[in-house]
Amino acid sequence: MDAMMDKKEILESGLLERYLIGEVSETEQLQVERYLQDSEIRKHYGQLEADFERMAMENAVSPPPQVKEGLMDKVGSKTPQQPPINANRSALKSYLAIAAALALLFGISSFWMYTKLNGVEDQLELVRSQNDILSDELEDLTKNYDDVINTYEITSNPKTEKLIMLGNQNSPQATAVTYVNHTDKTVFIDAEGLPKLSEEHDYQLWADVEGEMIDMGVIAKGENFLAMNYIDHAESYNITIEPAGGSDHPTVERLITNVYLQ
Amino acid sequence: MQSDLLLIQQLQEGNAKALSSLYDKYAGALYGVILRICKDEGKAQDVLQETFLKIWNNASSYKADKGRFYTWAYRIARNTALNEVRSPSKLIQTEDLGVYKETEVSEEVPVDVAKLNGSIRQLESHHQKALELVYFNGLTHREAHEEMGVPLGTFKSYVQQALRKLRELYGVEMILMIGVLIEWML
Repeated sequence: MDAMMDKKEILESGLLERYLIGEVSETEQLQVERYLQDSEIRKHYGQLEADFERMAMENAVSPPPQVKEGLMDKVGSKTPQQPPINANRSALKSYLAIAAALALLFGISSFWMYTKLNGVEDQLELVRSQNDILSDELEDLTKNYDDVINTYEITSNPKTEKLIMLGNQNSPQATAVTYVNHTDKTVFIDAEGLPKLSEEHDYQLWADVEGEMIDMGVIAKGENFLAMNYIDHAESYNITIEPAGGSDHPTVERLITNVYLQ
Repeated sequence: MQSDLLLIQQLQEGNAKALSSLYDKYAGALYGVILRICKDEGKAQDVLQETFLKIWNNASSYKADKGRFYTWAYRIARNTALNEVRSPSKLIQTEDLGVYKETEVSEEVPVDVAKLNGSIRQLESHHQKALELVYFNGLTHREAHEEMGVPLGTFKSYVQQALRKLRELYGVEMILMIGVLIEWML
């Protein structure tokens, strides 16, 4: 009960207010600092301090800038007599600084690597599609190469006969070459020299066997060197122009070229 | 006030940047007090600078567990200003400088500090006056009660009542602020 009274008295004595503004004797100062050990008084005092500070802030007046300039000049000239450093604290601080720097570095490098990764993924995708294109091209080239080798083997074979077919008055500029191998029973035709036909017509190759025209096959459009059906005992080879897809019997009036076999 | 603690620690380590930051934060409030005590801008500027030099040189004597940095700085500013105003040598010096100087130092309150601002203006006038005299004009309680022409006990209760009222006003403001904040968050 006494202690309660004491506290109330202290709070109402005005001593805390005078202590706050610095209007106390040394004895009073020590007295107040003893009172402030008490948490309730301490709390009240803290409130007073906050209120006074706020009141002062509300009544602040901006000083002219030269005051600060002068101050910083004076302070700057005396400068840092490096004070006794609290070793632990500064060590902790530098650890924190290092940690922060590492974290920052890690963050930046992660971001950098992430963007790099994205770039690499894009490039990989590009390389993949280029690779697909290249492998398609390679496939085509291989096929062409095989065709060429094939053609070469056919045409260079000493048992292959080369028969040149020249266009008659129906198609004077036409030329075609057939390669016949009676041993292997194969016939190939190089149709590059035949003039282009419309969609509705195709060239067709025939073998004349004892006066009868036997179908050797339609010369497919866009193919320059192709295998035809070998027919035994053929006396001549004949090319006619037929409706697209070919006919069972040749349209003789549209014969453009023929060649006799030896 | 976490940032203050760090700044003060740096100040105590002799970091001029910390002084600069603390100046930016508190010089206005301290200058408001100093100007109201000195009632002369030239003097007040000198006192403000001297105050911060003392803060710089005696930084190690500030103890955070004894109270706020601002309170500590306020006491230095108040004492420095009162010494400036009351110093007899300064008075002689002014007299020596003659009539011209005397008129310049005349007790003319700069316009912007003639009246107080903020919540204190919502107090009753005798409460305002009591706080103004002891806090902004640097009068002791004894000087102030004579100035107001009331007994010392009465004056003390004026100060207490004024502070209680101020606490209420700030408290209400705080509640309003929290209310606005909550509303904003919702």
